[in-house]
Amino acid sequence: MSSQCSGNQAGNYTGKAPAVWPAKINQIPKEVFGDKDLFEKELENIFYGDCWHVVGHVAEVPNVGDFKTFDLGRVPLLISRGKDGQVRVFYNSCTHRGNQVEVSASGNRKEFECPYHRWLFSLEGALTACPGSKEFAPDFKQENFGLLEVKSAQFLGLILVTMGKNTPPLAEWMGEEVTSTLSALLGGDGRLKLLGYQKVSYNVDWKGYNDNDGYHAPMLHAGFRMLNWQGGKGFQRMAANGNLVFEAELKPAQDNGFLKDPSLIAFKGSDPARGSMIVQLYPTTVMVKHLDMINLRFAIARSEEETEVHYAYFAHEDDDEELLQHRIRQSSNLLGPCGMISMEDAAIFRRIFIGNKTPGVAEFQKGVTSFTELPADLKQNDETGNLGRWEHYRKLMGFKREGGK
Amino acid sequence: MSKTGNLGHLAAIDALHTAYVAALDKGDMAAWAATFAADQASHFCISSENDRRGFPLALMYDDCRGRIDDRVSFVTKVWVGTYEPYRTRHFIQRLGCEEVGANQYRVTSGFTIMMTPEGGSTSVLTSGEYRDLIEIQGDRAVFRERRAVYDADVLPRYIVFPF
Repeated sequence: MSSQCSGNQAGNYTGKAPAVWPAKINQIPKEVFGDKDLFEKELENIFYGDCWHVVGHVAEVPNVGDFKTFDLGRVPLLISRGKDGQVRVFYNSCTHRGNQVEVSASGNRKEFECPYHRWLFSLEGALTACPGSKEFAPDFKQENFGLLEVKSAQFLGLILVTMGKNTPPLAEWMGEEVTSTLSALLGGDGRLKLLGYQKVSYNVDWKGYNDNDGYHAPMLHAGFRMLNWQGGKGFQRMAANGNLVFEAELKPAQDNGFLKDPSLIAFKGSDPARGSMIVQLYPTTVMVKHLDMINLRFAIARSEEETEVHYAYFAHEDDDEELLQHRIRQSSNLLGPCGMISMEDAAIFRRIFIGNKTPGVAEFQKGVTSFTELPADLKQNDETGNLGRWEHYRKLMGFKREGGK
Repeated sequence: MSKTGNLGHLAAIDALHTAYVAALDKGDMAAWAATFAADQASHFCISSENDRRGFPLALMYDDCRGRIDDRVSFVTKVWVGTYEPYRTRHFIQRLGCEEVGANQYRVTSGFTIMMTPEGGSTSVLTSGEYRDLIEIQGDRAVFRERRAVYDADVLPRYIVFPF
């Protein structure tokens, strides 16, 4: 009897994420994908911990009384615009017995009523009625039972929340590298107009989604080649706390006859030097401005094998009718779970997730210059840009590296 | 003519639905495109949430014949080998049919799409409603416009083929 093995040897596959990672900074243990116990710890350390999480943009709730519901991990949130015009984020839970207050994904209300005991909350969260309160506990005070507000902050209308006790202020947490690109991505002033959603569930854990959405080697996209669509010059920069920004000059596609309707990929914006921008905010948010599309992707980490993504698309309030119509057809067809550009990304999420249920490590190559330090300078297409996120993850989770810290 | 059109036209409309289903369930994108009028036609897939709330954004927004042909090119030339294959079975039920012009009908149908990923079991991809503008041309019917309003608030996977 003899056994043959022509490939590399990589040890046993356990399906359990290790607490000690390889010494090399470019190696990620594959077992971090799809470990149920690990997901519970991620909820605790990351989603309910000292990070900011993007949950929406105020343009989704433009009028008084508009609301949307969203989840942070398993925690239900209610985002509402009050009569004072302020957008607040509450836990979507009645302060009496914890019943879910609002069940719709979005809508407009005059107030929020919990149907269980008819407790009534104002758009600003105050408890305005609670029938039978004469018989309530002696220490009951109506003013103490408004909806619980989640700590939130805004950047040009982008709404972020944190449940952590020691989360740094938003600007500090995002990092100064993010500010300029994110401002430009949000139309310069955040005065956006919601065009609609594409919502989809991907069978991949949030890290597999996060590691592969937004930006990756352009060789994935056959569409770019067939359209003779070359990327322009640009940069990629790591920011604090696993955040990452990209900018690239936009080079219009040279019409080679592949498309019968090349008007779809026309650029009608004014600044091709900043025609393509991506901001990735840790852990799950990807925001893209490409051609004339403004796309914010609100993701929910549902489980160790499911990530739900709400692709929200926007116009700018000042758009003329022609630009508005162009944004609608371009946004509908190029990005998202069926987009001409990004459908292939979605396929990669799942294949990454499946393929990594094998022994060994996922190893980053392009742009790696050191095995111990994050690169100070990134080239536009280096895959090492993701390593900042992985290092941030490793530290948040308290995993050590072999022979080191 | 009656509100539901004449029987010959109804038969042509039902045959169009059958041809549409047969094309997609065989994965024959050229045959799918051939169910639309050759000169000018449009095709949209849009979530019921966007439709209900008046948002224009769609999942597929083919507002001219060129876009329909370009969708065929993408599925058959660009995306080949990148996506996880799946097969579909469409079930259609005509709900309403109203003549709105010379040889033109507004037709509403319910649909269900079952999907089977390669090596997997069958599940519902989504259900929804087709809202069509159908034209009788000679002895056949073609889509001037097909608007598939799908029910799933969250789709269970990324989408390759039209609904």
